Amino acid sequence: MPLIDVVNLSKAFGPKVVLSNVNLQVEEGESLVVLGGSGTGKTVLLRNIMGLLTPDSGHVSVEGKIIAQLDREELFQVRQSIGMCFQMAALFDSMTVFENVAFGLRRHHKMTEAQVRARVEECLSLVGMKDTDKLKPAELSGGMKRRVGFARAIALKPKILLFDEPTTGLDPVMTDVIGRVILDLKHELGVTTITITHDLKSAFEIADRIALLFRGECLACQAPADFKANPHPVIQQFLRGDADGPFLQDPPPPKRKSA
Amino acid sequence: MALAVFDKIGTAVLGAMDTFGDFAVLSGRSFAAVFKRPFDGKNLLNQFNSVGVNSIPVVVLTSLAVSMVFAVQLAFGFRQFQAEGLASQVEGLAVMRELAPVITGLMLSGRIGSAMAAELGTMQVTEQIDALECLATDPIHYLFVPRLLASMLVVPLLTVVSIYVGFWGGYLILVGVEGQSAYVYGNEFYKLLAFRDLRIAIYKSIVFGMIIALVGCWKGYRTYGGAEGVGNAPTSSVVTSSLWILISDFFLTKLLLV
Repeated sequence: MPLIDVVNLSKAFGPKVVLSNVNLQVEEGESLVVLGGSGTGKTVLLRNIMGLLTPDSGHVSVEGKIIAQLDREELFQVRQSIGMCFQMAALFDSMTVFENVAFGLRRHHKMTEAQVRARVEECLSLVGMKDTDKLKPAELSGGMKRRVGFARAIALKPKILLFDEPTTGLDPVMTDVIGRVILDLKHELGVTTITITHDLKSAFEIADRIALLFRGECLACQAPADFKANPHPVIQQFLRGDADGPFLQDPPPPKRKSA
Repeated sequence: MALAVFDKIGTAVLGAMDTFGDFAVLSGRSFAAVFKRPFDGKNLLNQFNSVGVNSIPVVVLTSLAVSMVFAVQLAFGFRQFQAEGLASQVEGLAVMRELAPVITGLMLSGRIGSAMAAELGTMQVTEQIDALECLATDPIHYLFVPRLLASMLVVPLLTVVSIYVGFWGGYLILVGVEGQSAYVYGNEFYKLLAFRDLRIAIYKSIVFGMIIALVGCWKGYRTYGGAEGVGNAPTSSVVTSSLWILISDFFLTKLLLV
């Protein structure tokens, strides 16, 4: 049985269909990367897995539990086994880095303050953010915020980690750093991960399988080598990063010839 | 034409019921969450501080200003009938029954209700509330409950402060300016009052505190649309809670004076 099972998942907001009959299975310990253009429903997929959105039809199950059928207490139990890393980190800006990472530990575990401190330091060093515990989120750069967000997500020792566009808006060097941190977390913690990204370099480094969402549907879900060789024109256009092709609904402006 | 009008009216009625229903559900969930564990004492103390201690100057200044201007008007009015002595009695009645709880409620809806809406609104649009959910924490329990409890406890306390300041505001005008005897003012201020009046003021302020916190948190929690949404949430919170404070004041007065 897959650890995460997305079955015929559909979700629309008013007339706009965001996900249409998406099927994805993620096995325990596997790393799935979800690619796709902006607005193709990648984040909506993650939010359905977390139970932040309710599917219009189909379902998501985690460890055999159908998320939409759980009551609040059961849902919170499941969420303790999932770490979610938000696109812009979503750190609590009234708290320090330490308090952010310690938040889940203090609420869900009966730990002494010394144990909490030790676990927070362990998590921060795993993401390369040691000695930042007294800083406030406003004092951190974009890449640092993401890494603190990762530390907060792994603090409760989840079985699953979900990364929502962890490299968006970062410079290429920091993008590489974040990619390495995700790889380290995957190897050191042995967790199952779903990563949404636009960065093909880190996608091919991280992924056991790569899926592409296109206009609400899952076009392919394959091992990186197979995905690269997939002849589908949308996949090939996405890999080339070319504006010309079937990927865009509206035709792009014509390319100007350089003088 | 007629159908379009009915359509618009129907849509508006459904929209209003939807909004009211949403507020009622969130309010019910907030009260139900009061008794849930874990009990977050530190968070509650922070709210007492921001709702209570930081609001004292605003309440003192507005209560002083309103009680003084009310005393000026009373002195002028009763002078027309050579009944200046009644001014202090009516001042006491007005301050205790109406001015202190309503002015405190209105000022705090502007100060703390708007702050709650802005804070929760910002948390909503920056996904911090989703982050709470993902960390298996009920936002209603974590965000609404401390604010609700702090507000329901602090608004009555500040109302008592407002009554005390109101006494001295009237004193400054009626004794200091109008030349009434300080001894007479001290006695007359309480002449028309009974302990019941203080109780009514406290009951009212508990309800006002509840309205301020619930409306502020609800408007913040339901914020959408980025910076514009965050900008609208406090305004909407102040307008809604002020309106409900004034409307509920009428019904509470009628109900509690029976």
